[in-house]
Amino acid sequence: MRIAKEKKSIPSFFIMTAGFLLFWEWLRPLGQVTDTGHIPLLVLYAALCFLVSFFIQNGLWKFIIKGLSLLFILDYLFLPGIFLSSESIQFISQELSYNLSAVWDSQWYLMTPFFRSLLFLMVLWLMSYLLHYWFLVANKFFLFVVLTIMYLAVLDTFTSYEAEIAIVRTFAISFIALGLSRFMKFREQGVEVEIQKYSILKWIIPIIGGVLVTASIGIFAPKLAPQWPDPVPFIQSQANHVGFGNTVQKVGYGENDSQLGGSFVQDDTAVFEAISKERLYWRIESKDLYTGKGWERSSSLDYNPLQSGAVQWQAFSTQAVDTTEEEASVTYTKESNLDKVPIPYGATEVTTSYSALLFQDLESGMMEMEVSEQQGRSQPYTVQYEDPSFSIDQLKQVSDKDPSAIQNKYLQLPSSLPDRVRALAQEITTDKPTRYDKVKAIERYFSQNGYTYQIEDVSIPEAGEDYVDQFLFETMVGYCDNFSSSMVVMLRTLDIPARWVKGFTGGEIKSNQPDLPNGYKLYEITNNNAHSWVEVYFPNVGWVPFEPTSGFTNPTEFYQETVAEDMDSTNPEEQRIEETNPQQEQQEQQATDPADNEEDESALGSSRSSRINMPIKVMIVIGVILLVLLGGFSYWKRQEIRTWYLQKKWRKISEQLDIEECYHYLLKLLAKKGFNRNKGQTLRQYAKEVDETIGKSDMYDLTLLYEQYLYRNGQVEVDSSTLRNLFQRIVHQIIA
Amino acid sequence: MIDYHKQINEVLENIQKVIIGKEREAALSLVALLANGHVLIEDVPGVGKTMLVRALAKSLNCEFKRIQFTPDLLPSDVTGVSIYNPKEMIFEFRKGPIFGDIVLADEINRTSPKTQSALLEAMEENNVTVDGVSKPLNEPFFVMATQNPIDYEGTYPLPEAQLDRFIMKLSLGYPNELDELEMLNRTDQQHPIDQLVPIMDRSQLIEIQQFIDNIYVDETVKHYIVQLVSETRENEYVQLGVSPRGSIALMKAAKAYAFIQNRDYVIPDDILFLAPYVLAHRIILRPEARYDGITQQNLITQLLKKIDVPIRKEVHG
Repeated sequence: MRIAKEKKSIPSFFIMTAGFLLFWEWLRPLGQVTDTGHIPLLVLYAALCFLVSFFIQNGLWKFIIKGLSLLFILDYLFLPGIFLSSESIQFISQELSYNLSAVWDSQWYLMTPFFRSLLFLMVLWLMSYLLHYWFLVANKFFLFVVLTIMYLAVLDTFTSYEAEIAIVRTFAISFIALGLSRFMKFREQGVEVEIQKYSILKWIIPIIGGVLVTASIGIFAPKLAPQWPDPVPFIQSQANHVGFGNTVQKVGYGENDSQLGGSFVQDDTAVFEAISKERLYWRIESKDLYTGKGWERSSSLDYNPLQSGAVQWQAFSTQAVDTTEEEASVTYTKESNLDKVPIPYGATEVTTSYSALLFQDLESGMMEMEVSEQQGRSQPYTVQYEDPSFSIDQLKQVSDKDPSAIQNKYLQLPSSLPDRVRALAQEITTDKPTRYDKVKAIERYFSQNGYTYQIEDVSIPEAGEDYVDQFLFETMVGYCDNFSSSMVVMLRTLDIPARWVKGFTGGEIKSNQPDLPNGYKLYEITNNNAHSWVEVYFPNVGWVPFEPTSGFTNPTEFYQETVAEDMDSTNPEEQRIEETNPQQEQQEQQATDPADNEEDESALGSSRSSRINMPIKVMIVIGVILLVLLGGFSYWKRQEIRTWYLQKKWRKISEQLDIEECYHYLLKLLAKKGFNRNKGQTLRQYAKEVDETIGKSDMYDLTLLYEQYLYRNGQVEVDSSTLRNLFQRIVHQIIA
Repeated sequence: MIDYHKQINEVLENIQKVIIGKEREAALSLVALLANGHVLIEDVPGVGKTMLVRALAKSLNCEFKRIQFTPDLLPSDVTGVSIYNPKEMIFEFRKGPIFGDIVLADEINRTSPKTQSALLEAMEENNVTVDGVSKPLNEPFFVMATQNPIDYEGTYPLPEAQLDRFIMKLSLGYPNELDELEMLNRTDQQHPIDQLVPIMDRSQLIEIQQFIDNIYVDETVKHYIVQLVSETRENEYVQLGVSPRGSIALMKAAKAYAFIQNRDYVIPDDILFLAPYVLAHRIILRPEARYDGITQQNLITQLLKKIDVPIRKEVHG
């Protein structure tokens, strides 16, 4: 094996400089294209790495210098206090442990700028090392030139970066470097006739001249206009026509409802997991403004912070409605990108075991959570809620006098709404005396009149068409948005205040349930559970949820006074909840002590996901460590392993002692060792060459025997043990 | 066979007593002799051609004859002539110098083509026909012809067809300084040729020649020869390639060489060693070859590098 030896010389220094300049071209656009800051510092560090790689031979010193300067830059950028003071070291260790745990949890977005910078500087380090090897040891420059030009071309085409000058610079630098690289190759091959006599100048001056001339011709020569149109708009328009995103969507929670309709595909990505006693509807927000195509907000969101978790916003009056106090906890899944806080009806308090700020819009009820980065969203939050049970009699008895604020907001309809919608609503509710009866009549109307629930082939209203009108009278096919919007619109035509609500249905009970207090179940809510339904205003009571969509049932309880005694039967359940309460209180107390967090969360079973994933992760890590160890070991012992393998193979071959097979295996071994036999070389000549290197005559002796086998008419005049020994000896010599 | 081999080695040693530092040429001449062939030596005068032949003849206890070719030499001067014996009143055949065991045909390119072909015919057919009577030549019969390099004045170059009759073409060349000094020392008092003792006699030589015929040439080696010969016919620099007679000559020479090496089988090394001597004078190069500095010998060497040496039992291709 010939190992290319790195030589330090003036041309190689120039090559390295050129390599660095090209690498600089890679760093230059970062400031413009990304939000990376302190580019000069990064370039400086890259330069330092290149210089160190070039001038310092000792690997340890290289490491020390590069590592220290990396720390120094980080110190300059981020660290408080003096370089390498105990304070800064503490900071570094904190940062590292935090970020590594973030990486461990695949929470990439939680990585701090410090850690990102550290990683980037390490990449620079690595790149400088690789490029140094590429240019000076392997003496390969061209590939990097091609890559650089491709990089610049891509950036120029697809980003705002203007690479015109960069391309010219790259051209000049790389061609000079390629010339030098050629020079180095000649020198390596020993073509030194002319080169050694004259200086490198003789070589480099024509190159520089040539490059300058071609570059200036290139710059000043007249150029054709682009023969192809700019590909970017083309690609984008093609993408649109194909229909990504616009017509077929994925099921899930989205904020933009201004254009409803269109088909959906199923998406069973889990969004969150909830632990509760019963299947609940998870409310996120309501919208009030119907445009004829979809829903919007009439006023912009106004977030108010929740004071110690107490929920101010109420859909209904807890005084006027019978409620039972319940508790549920919610955990976002890892793949969840939901940035809202879903809450059940009657939520009174949201508590987190970690520091988080909660905000809620008091109109729509939409809640958001701001989590301090250190805890992540993998922890559950707990919701105390007053589970409502509406008295039908009460709802029937309320007056029709709505507050004017409610009327103003929740009776709005677009002027373009076709009259037949209003007529239909009238028709459905003609003989219904009370508001509750009317609402129930409309709620039931859809399932009783052949409206079909499906998510595929659902049309979008054309210009001039009304979303609700289209569903009610033409398509009669749709999903929750169609049903709920239609119900809200029809109610509004009857002057009943109603609003459109979005959230998630209760999801599925997970197959593998953790240990939970009695009565509680773990539900998994996926994107498929995204849903919309209806809330109707009843004076004195508040907003009451209804479910018009075919195939869905409203989880909210309604009861008639006549069956009021049934309530008693739920008493034991209430007691059971009280039994669990001390446990919860205890948990809340512990929650103030962050050190105990992990344990008591597992008591409630909400950190299930991490409990399941831990062994897998540990196994992966152990597997990787084992692989690395194995790889390292086999690299360290590669000679021995190869020898072992070759000998094993040899033993197999030599058992038969087929002289031809053995001899050819030997030839193969020798070829691997670098003894190449030319086509026209006879075995004797070859054997002599081999023996000269090895310093014995075994190969020649063996070859004479093999010649007898090959060219003589008859048997080889040798007994098999001698032959075997001879073979054995040579093979061992070669392998060792 | 071992005895023969010993004797052959002694013959070579004998020659080396006389011709210093020309082991290879001595061995090659012996190979030619053992293979029943004839040798053409192209060389300047005075490098020891005559000594080589004489040493060979003396070691083998053979009759040595010498023909000095001149422009006025007639065919009958080579083959012999019938002369009227007035006493007996009959025509008596006087044997020419060709009726020797080992014949040195000196400066063969100085004589007229007519005389040259008389010699070459005799070499080919192993007998001469004089006055309609065919007379067999001696056995063994070995001709060592010499010629001055052809670009010398006053020569009749041998026709290519006739060059083919020689199993190999050699060139002795000048000895190196050390050898030449040694030569002076040895010839100081008495010429070493006079002290040579015969090693074997003619009958033994014939026996050896018959033995050599039985030396084994493997199919793979024959294939190797054929490949080499056909390469010469296809090469771009070659006008006329090696004839089948050349392949046979190469195989015969290889057998003899294997015998000298104390082997009863031929190996590719033998071919590799002999091919430049046996084949080179049989090809005619195109004029371009000369411009490119290619000679017959180094063309053969180059071709040898291109051909696969057989290293497995079965013949490939």
